[in-house]
Amino acid sequence: MTTDDNGPIVRFENVGLRYGLGPEVLQDVTFSLAPGSFHFLIGPSGAGKSSLLKLIYLAMKPSRGLISLFGRNIQSTPRGDLPAMRRRVGVVFQEFRLLNHLSAFDNVALPLRVAGARKSDIQKHVVELLSWVGLKDHLDARPPTLSGGQQQRVSIARAVISRPKLLLADEPTGNVDDRLGIRLMHLFEELNKFGTTVVIATHNSHLVEQMGFPKMYLDEGWLEMVGGGNEKPTSDARGKDPSEEAEDDPPKDDDGDSLLDLEKLI
Amino acid sequence: MFTSRSDLPLDKDALSRFLPWLIAFMVFLAVLAMAGMLVLNSTASRWDQGISGTLTIQLIPTDDPEEDDERLQKVLSIIAQTPEIDRYETLSDDRLLKLLEPWLGVTEGIKDLPLPRLVDVELKAGAKLDADALNKRLQAQVSGVGVDDHRIWLKRLVRLIQTVQGLATLVLVFIALATIGTVVFTTRTGLAIHREAIEVLHLIGAQDSYVARQFASRALMLGLKGGVIGLALALPTLMGIGALARQMESTLLPDVTLGLAHWTVLAALPVVVSLIAMLTARLTVMNTLSRML
Repeated sequence: MTTDDNGPIVRFENVGLRYGLGPEVLQDVTFSLAPGSFHFLIGPSGAGKSSLLKLIYLAMKPSRGLISLFGRNIQSTPRGDLPAMRRRVGVVFQEFRLLNHLSAFDNVALPLRVAGARKSDIQKHVVELLSWVGLKDHLDARPPTLSGGQQQRVSIARAVISRPKLLLADEPTGNVDDRLGIRLMHLFEELNKFGTTVVIATHNSHLVEQMGFPKMYLDEGWLEMVGGGNEKPTSDARGKDPSEEAEDDPPKDDDGDSLLDLEKLI
Repeated sequence: MFTSRSDLPLDKDALSRFLPWLIAFMVFLAVLAMAGMLVLNSTASRWDQGISGTLTIQLIPTDDPEEDDERLQKVLSIIAQTPEIDRYETLSDDRLLKLLEPWLGVTEGIKDLPLPRLVDVELKAGAKLDADALNKRLQAQVSGVGVDDHRIWLKRLVRLIQTVQGLATLVLVFIALATIGTVVFTTRTGLAIHREAIEVLHLIGAQDSYVARQFASRALMLGLKGGVIGLALALPTLMGIGALARQMESTLLPDVTLGLAHWTVLAALPVVVSLIAMLTARLTVMNTLSRML
């Protein structure tokens, strides 16, 4: 599979989407997301935010227009190549979509299993990540026995376990209190520092203003890019001094791979 | 091909609990049909081998026994000059009476009946004898003689056996189709029940084959379980039929003994049915998922 790693991670050109014979929920949506960028997707309820995210994570096909992901035109990509593209996208679903019959461990391990990772690697990374999100004592717990916030963290751990190139989160703070919401945002910010392109759909305007990242404003199916567009946000945009970046860098593990210090954040 | 763990709770589906019993019933019927077919096959080939290398020459009796003896000698001399014939034997009156016993019973009266003279002829191995030509040759020199090469009897018998075999094959085909239909139905139901989980697997990058493998492994295990139950129920049934047939001691019934090769074929049936179930489940899932994005 060939992809253009230097081009935009996501590109929409005049994309329209309608369900059945209904009206278009997305109209002439055109934008592109540069690698390593961080965007908030905002807009009133029913504006089409979830539909837009569904198009990006390849759950739906547009009614018209062109979508390219990692430099590949989705419409002309053979169906057999789509799973590999999906593996590069981490998704935090609004309603979590955890598999209730599986333990927290197995839920987080799914993306690695699907990708054919070794058992020993799965064990190591999943335990590590669940420990970092504060769920070390809940490895065997099934989602229905976890609180909303804990389920949220399992869902986030599942989305980031395979270090995706693109992270999409639909209302990730919708089920948690403000304090945990801010912590989760910092977690996404940390991921973004490692080059992951992040798009977060949210209603929480307070959080959006506080974080200061560019916004994608969606209203009645029309999209408008606000504050920065496609460029990678600078530390100024987050209200920090660039010299603080080095200190904020998370530790590296023995193999030299960067690991997120999530324990500190959650 | 096989996975020890499953991301989908397929074992909790009600249909999964029902499938082994259905497959057990199918395998039970399949074993009986297959056993019948194997017995008929070996019986037909035994009859064919026993009959095709032989002829029977019949001499209709007259009122004069001396004349009958002369006619018989003429027949025997003609036979002796026929190169394709290996050996021949005139059946004694005692043997003729023994052959008539099942139909006429044992009474003194039948000894007074005018019995035909029968000559049992055995051909040389691989020899092709034109029975019609021999018949004409004999009739030209001896009156009241006839050659029976058992062709009519054999043809009818083969036709009967072929019909029964065809029916048994049809039963096996129906069983296979019913198994396939059941597995397709249970797999589709499973896909519908676990649609949400399958969609999640799909969205995190699972290939269709990843999901299909889980359904296929489950179908294989359930198929094997059902197959073994079906075979376990069919074996005593077959043995019972065999014992009953032996008790009847009838010369008209074929030998219902199964050889080692036959038992091997029957023992392989559960495996075959399980493989059919596995392949069906896999193809059903692949086909259904191919309609997803």
